Amino acid sequence: MTAFDFAPAIALLPFVSFLVALFGGQYLPKKGAFAGIAATAGSLLLSAWVAVTVAGGETYNEALYTFTAGLDTFELHLGILIDPLTALMLLIVSFIALLVHVFSLGYMNDEGETGLPRYYAGLGLFTASMLAFVFSNNILMAFMFFELVGLCSYLLIGFWFREDGPPSAAKKAFLVTRFGDYFFLIGVVGIFATFGTGLFAPVETASGTMASFPQIAEQAINGEADIFTAGYGAQTWMTILGLLVLGGVIGKSAQFPLHTWLPDAMEGPTPVSALIHAATMVAAGVYLVARMYGFYLLSPTALAIIALVGGFTALFAATMGVVKQELKQVLAYSTISQYGYMMLALGSGGYVAAVFHLTTHAVFKALLFLGAGSVIIAMHHNENMWDMGGLKEKMPVTYYTFLSGSLALAGIVPFAGFWSKDEVLFEALIHGFGSEGMLGPMYLLAYAMGLLAVFFTGFYTFRMVYLTFHGDARSDTARDPEPVRWNVKGPLAVLGVGAATVGLINMKPIAVLTGAEIDFLHKWVHGPDEGGWPAALSTDLVTYEELMKGVAGISSNYPIGGEQGTLLVSAALSLGLALAGVLFARSLYGVDQPTEHTDKLGGAKTLLMHNYYQDEYQVWLAQGVTVPIARAADKFDQGVVDGVVNGVSSVSLFTGSRFRRIQSGVVSNYAALMTLSLALLLVVFVVLGGGA
Amino acid sequence: MIPTEYYLLLSAAVFSIGVFGVLTRRNALIFLMSVELMLNAANINLVAFSFQYGNLTGQVFSLFIMALAAAEVAVGLGIILVLYRNFTDIDVTKATTMRW
Repeated sequence: MTAFDFAPAIALLPFVSFLVALFGGQYLPKKGAFAGIAATAGSLLLSAWVAVTVAGGETYNEALYTFTAGLDTFELHLGILIDPLTALMLLIVSFIALLVHVFSLGYMNDEGETGLPRYYAGLGLFTASMLAFVFSNNILMAFMFFELVGLCSYLLIGFWFREDGPPSAAKKAFLVTRFGDYFFLIGVVGIFATFGTGLFAPVETASGTMASFPQIAEQAINGEADIFTAGYGAQTWMTILGLLVLGGVIGKSAQFPLHTWLPDAMEGPTPVSALIHAATMVAAGVYLVARMYGFYLLSPTALAIIALVGGFTALFAATMGVVKQELKQVLAYSTISQYGYMMLALGSGGYVAAVFHLTTHAVFKALLFLGAGSVIIAMHHNENMWDMGGLKEKMPVTYYTFLSGSLALAGIVPFAGFWSKDEVLFEALIHGFGSEGMLGPMYLLAYAMGLLAVFFTGFYTFRMVYLTFHGDARSDTARDPEPVRWNVKGPLAVLGVGAATVGLINMKPIAVLTGAEIDFLHKWVHGPDEGGWPAALSTDLVTYEELMKGVAGISSNYPIGGEQGTLLVSAALSLGLALAGVLFARSLYGVDQPTEHTDKLGGAKTLLMHNYYQDEYQVWLAQGVTVPIARAADKFDQGVVDGVVNGVSSVSLFTGSRFRRIQSGVVSNYAALMTLSLALLLVVFVVLGGGA
Repeated sequence: MIPTEYYLLLSAAVFSIGVFGVLTRRNALIFLMSVELMLNAANINLVAFSFQYGNLTGQVFSLFIMALAAAEVAVGLGIILVLYRNFTDIDVTKATTMRW
């Protein structure tokens, strides 16, 4: 038995905990929390075992269950693909899920919430769907679990459904992401129609190797395979398919313009926010792009769009985070912004950088949300930062762990975010100078936006820290906060250490400067030089780099002093901007009695407080455009389509109502009619010449 | 020898009388009798053609039809009996409950 035989259990364990909590939760101590903790701990152990096996040089890609076997056409199946990316993501998801379950003991059970079986059932299903999504080996299965993740987020965001805000926020999250998923669904159908397979990586079967769709797409672009392209050129068609799938990604990963659901999703319980934003729902979008990266690399247009959307979102969301008054709102916008960085990295060919930032972000964002949860417990569920202040002395564990997460988010050396964000920006910079055609300027533009966002990130992060923890307490609850227990401090401590150290897995700047081989994540994704293990799956870095150079036309160029010089300048720029942001926040808010400075922004303040009127214009789109169109369509349906149907039936009804009067009940009439008809028939026969 | 046409004319006359009876009379018994007339007009036709072609099948058939007519009369009289029980009359134009 190898670890891969137990791989399905990684997702099945949380699913079992979902069933246990749902049907037996109210009879269990802690209402099903222990089942969830046990299940996610089991998943974590299995994921670790899988990761160790992958490190030993093995990968896995099998179809486990075929639910539709077509004749002379494609099959639909559930299968598992495990390569270094999957193994890493499984570890992250089950790790964060475990900590969130433990934290929930403090945030939900100790606070005396009702409906806890429903809560833990939701968490279990959420974790199970995400884990299954991560190890999906084909895009249809990925889509199914992508949707399940969306459903679970709806259930959990709307957990407090008796209040006004949460149900509305849940519906918004569901609808906005569903809008993106609509395009994703068309993309999935398009991929199956084009390639006849949805496999992410080739599968070895008894009858030979089944190629994956990125491979077939590459052959088609090189003119080696003949496929359905709807009359477009092969590369244009790949761009269209890629952008359709990207619709789902933009919805789930809250990229501009479908980011509006995420800040509202803060209505859900804080541990759920941590799970959604760190490891599951929002990460799913970025992970999907990474999963089918071999496909996106075939389309420079799609890459440019991903990079621009990412860079723009990073800056756009960061500016909105600057003026928010509620702790979780700041974190919400920072999440959108950070996922923008990941998209920027993916779009500009920084595959490792994106995966790295996904990893570090999962750790420090989970930490920040759980820290915010701890503060919210202490503040009796008041989230307004202007009512806080001075919590530093009252809750030191929360403060120091939160500080660790904030330093990581702001990107201050040596905390996790510095290493990953720096690598993202560095990749965008060097590829911006090295790439062909329009791709280069696009990357540089995206890079500029990402770089500018670094300053805002440092500013809003430390504005949040200073307002929450420093200065004098500004309310009675802040003067006497409620203490938190081990089940809150434990996960915080684990993540606090993580946020400080997880960046060490890929210290690329030091690796480049000293020549020491310490970029472990890079090696992990790359595989061994000889016969690397992901090579058989074509999801390895070597394949991706060949595609980048060969098809996408992305290559590196070091504008200033070679690789080392460029690296130093890039790192110094981003670190300098981050520090500038932090110091600016300190000078404004790092005083005993901070005051609001947002009025100095003038008109910009109104714009930022209203989130650039994104909600307003989307509501206008819905009410001003979609509703009239729908009404016109309804009129057409009711009038023309139904009119024709109703007309036909009313003709039948009318003639029927007239003709039935010959059914008089008098036998003589019937006899007369029959005789007349017969006579008429005879006359007709005579006139027509008697047939024959 | 009488030509076949005469038989056919006779048959047509008998049939027309039957049809006339069915269309004009209201008494159910006369109705039944008229139906018998039409049936027998067909019988005459069968016998006449059988005679003309020298084939006995037509005559055998007419025997069958007579037996059938006897059975039909039995059923018809039963119906008339029930008609009388329900409407205290055997006028066919009165029994009009099965209408639209």
